[in-house]
Formats: sequence, C-alpha cells, structure tokens
Amino acid sequence: MRLYWEIGVRAFRRATAYRSAYIAGLLTNAFFGAVYSFVYLAVFAASAEPVVAGFSVREAVSYVWIAQALISIGAGWISWELADSIRSGDVITDMARPWSFYGYWLSKSLGERSFNLLVRGAFTYLIGVLYFDAIIPGVTQFAAFALTIALALVVSFAFGFMLNLLAFWLLDYTGVAVISSIVLQLFSGFLLPLAFLPAPLQAIAALLPFRAITSVPAQTFLGQITGAHLLGALALQLFWAVVMTGAALVLLRYAVRKVVIQGG
Amino acid sequence: MFRLYLLLIGARVRAQMQYKVSFLLDLLGFALATGLEFVIIAVLFTRFPALGGWSGHEVALLYGMTAIAFSLSEMVARGFDAPFERMMVQGSFDRVLTRPLGSFFQILASEFQLRRLGRTLQGTLVLGYALAVLQIGWSPAKALVLVMAVLSGAVIYGGLVVIGATLCFWTIKTPEIINAFTFGGTTLVSYPLNIYNRFIRAVFLSIVPVAFANYPAALLILERRDPHGLPAELAWAAPLVAGAFFALALRFWRFGVSKYQSSGS
Repeated sequence: MRLYWEIGVRAFRRATAYRSAYIAGLLTNAFFGAVYSFVYLAVFAASAEPVVAGFSVREAVSYVWIAQALISIGAGWISWELADSIRSGDVITDMARPWSFYGYWLSKSLGERSFNLLVRGAFTYLIGVLYFDAIIPGVTQFAAFALTIALALVVSFAFGFMLNLLAFWLLDYTGVAVISSIVLQLFSGFLLPLAFLPAPLQAIAALLPFRAITSVPAQTFLGQITGAHLLGALALQLFWAVVMTGAALVLLRYAVRKVVIQGG
Repeated sequence: MFRLYLLLIGARVRAQMQYKVSFLLDLLGFALATGLEFVIIAVLFTRFPALGGWSGHEVALLYGMTAIAFSLSEMVARGFDAPFERMMVQGSFDRVLTRPLGSFFQILASEFQLRRLGRTLQGTLVLGYALAVLQIGWSPAKALVLVMAVLSGAVIYGGLVVIGATLCFWTIKTPEIINAFTFGGTTLVSYPLNIYNRFIRAVFLSIVPVAFANYPAALLILERRDPHGLPAELAWAAPLVAGAFFALALRFWRFGVSKYQSSGS
C-alpha cells in the first residue's frame, strides 16, 4: 500500500511542474465555461418557465462550470498514455516490475488527477463563481461531493484503462478514441445535463456507467441529489466501480497473454 | 508557384487516400465527433423555443457557416499546426530555411489533411438543412454574402493558426491558449453574437474577428436586426477584414522567422 501511495504522491508532484500547461488548461476551460454560460442565460431568458428539466438558470450555469472543472478528473476526456506505451513497447518495463500493473497506473492517475482537480478544477469553478454567480455548495453537499468524486475517479480510470488496453489488439486506436469520446461526452452528462436529453437517450444513459463519472458528482455538488437519492447514487457509483474495475482486471489478464517480447 | 503547391499537396492527398476504407471511416468518425457540438444546439432547442431571439434553424445557419469555414482552415493550414510544432521541437525547421523558397509556402505545402473534410461534411449538412427550412427571400447579393463570409472565415481561422505557429519561435510548442480562439472561437460564434457581453462581442469582431465567418452575413441573409445596433451591411466587409487579418498574421510570421534561433540539435 505504501508503494502505491508513493507512486501517487510522485505523480501529484510531477503534475505541479507543468505550470504553463495547467494555466492554459484553466483558461481554456474558463473560456468554454463562459460561452456556455451565456448560452444558458440566453435560452432561459426566452423560456416561459423558470425551471426547465429540473434546472433553474443558476443551476444550469453552475452545471456548466462544474462540468468544466471535472474535465480534470476525466469527464469527457480520456488519457491515452498507456496505449502509447503499449505501442512503443515501453509497457514491458512497467509489466516486469514487482508491483500490480493495475495498481501502478491507478495510483499514478489518482495522483495526477487529484492535483488537477485541486488546482485546475477548483480555479475553473472559482471563475464561474466570480463572474457567473455559480452556486457555492454547503458543507454537507461538499462532503457528499468528495465521496462521489472518489468513486467517479475509480470508474473513469477503469473505463480509460480498458480502452487503452485495446491497443494490445488494435494497431490503430483512432477509431476507438473517437467513438469512446462521443459516448463518454454525451452519456456522462458532460455535454449537457442528462435531464435535458430526449427520453430515449436518457434511457440509454441510465443503463450505462458513464453518468457515475460526471452527472452524479456534478448534481451532488449542486445539491440536486440529497438524502436517500444520494445513497442510491453512491450505491450506483459503487456498483459501477466494482464492475468496471473487475472487467478491467479480467481484460488485463487476457492482454498480458498477448504480449510478445522481442529481444534487442 | 501554384502548380508546385498542387503538385506537393496532390502527393499528400494521394498518400492519405491509399487505404480507402480506413480513410472513409476516419472521415465519418471525424464528422461524428465534431458533430457533437451541433447535438448541444439540437438538444437545447428541444427544451427552449429561442436563443437570444434566434430560432433553432437560424442558429443552425450560424453553426453550419462557421463549421465549414473552420474545417477548411484546419484542412489547408494543417502544416502550421502539429507538424510544424514537431519541426520546431526536432530542429528540422533549419532545413526549410536553406531551400530556395519562402518558408511560409513550404510549411503551407507540407501538409493537407483531407480527413478534416469530415467536419466540412457535417457543417454542410447542417447548413443545407438550415437553408432548406428557413424562408429566405434569396437575391444574388445574399448568395454572394454567404459564400464570402464562409471563405473569409476560413482565411481568418487560417490566420489564427499561423499566429499560433509563429509563437513557436519563442515558446517551441504552440501555446495551448490558441485553441481557445480557434476551437473556442468556432464554438462561440456557433451561437448568435448578441447573447455575449460587450467585451466578447468587441473582441470577436475586431482583435480575433472570427464572427465575420457568419454573424453579419446571417443578419443580412435573414434580414434581422442586431439588438445592439451592429449593421448587417458589415457583412460586405468580411473579405477586407479577413485580408487585413491574414496580412497581419503573415507579417508576424515573417518577423518570427527573422527571430528564429535554431536549437542546433
């Protein structure tokens, strides 16, 4: 356990070094946050009802900012670092080391992403609070949000890990990257709150694991999921965390059999 | 010069078409991925009747115009994007400077990414749909304004890419922030400009004039009035704005090249 903690801490520290990268990322997130805030302000201004699909204008705008902030933990975005290392063959070094391959990548990813969330994510949301009056959650909401984030990280990592592993079978993962990013963005609630989608799409989203990544943490943050619903949402996240991690570990076992090491 | 360009680009295009199935799938994937931006608009209009006074079909017109303009610039000016950045990192830009042709021309002719037509494709579909359902009293002037705006938009987006590449002369890697103006710019002008605050409207009509890809032209074509008093006749200025912006980008490029110091590796 100590080993994985250290890997996570190192990944966290390494992430602090890319200062210009996270400032640029922050500004880009804030830019899109501002654009979509103006869009929601405009559509709600023309709407006859103050609450649409369960969202008030302030909640819709806050949702935009929290979704942008959650990019830092893998909402609407997948890292292909592992796939690249499979392609280049570097993956062998990591596999040969005396640790759990899954544990290594998981701790690394958790380290990086918690840094991103604490800095890039938090500042992105702060801009939303300062310029667009985004909601500041209460202490209990915030604590619940922290729990949902922890589970969202596990689900998001397992999903990305499985996609990356496909590089063992596929020569070119461009197609996988395109399709998976579309599915993730649409069905996680990153593009729009899921409640805005037409009913058939909402039904599909309800069956998929992706809402555990963006929609559940975002809605918990806004105080739209509380009490018994919160317990239900956490149970759902836990379910997907276990299922996705299990599936990822099974896939890893098959992938390892594919490995052929060429001497040299 | 133009023949040489066609020759070089022709070779790139043929290379990309070698694996036909793979190329077509790539094109389709790119069309779907970039089409997600339109999904947001389509979904919003299932819940709301209007956006800043514009109907869904009118916003589709805005979206289609900027999507086509942006995709054309992505395709043609691709050489100034990632491939140029790689050149800077590896130090192979030195080779470009030793050849008896302008550096701008060489970089432009170095790449042409056909798969970007995927975005052109979906943008054209959306624009075609918008033009078919909107009741527009067509005139030759309106048709001309539409074409001019899209082409001017492509030139403006291209200018932005060149500016991003030029920054490489100082920073080696293109600062990510330029994406906020290219990708972000096309997202921003997909929605009617009148919904934004004064600062954003001013910036995207002057400093980064990507709004000329669609907004004034759409006002003129739809015979709409801008609530903030922007004259629709401004649409006629799009080619001038695009020309001036690109000329500035080009001067900046020349200045950048003159300041270039090789990494020596």
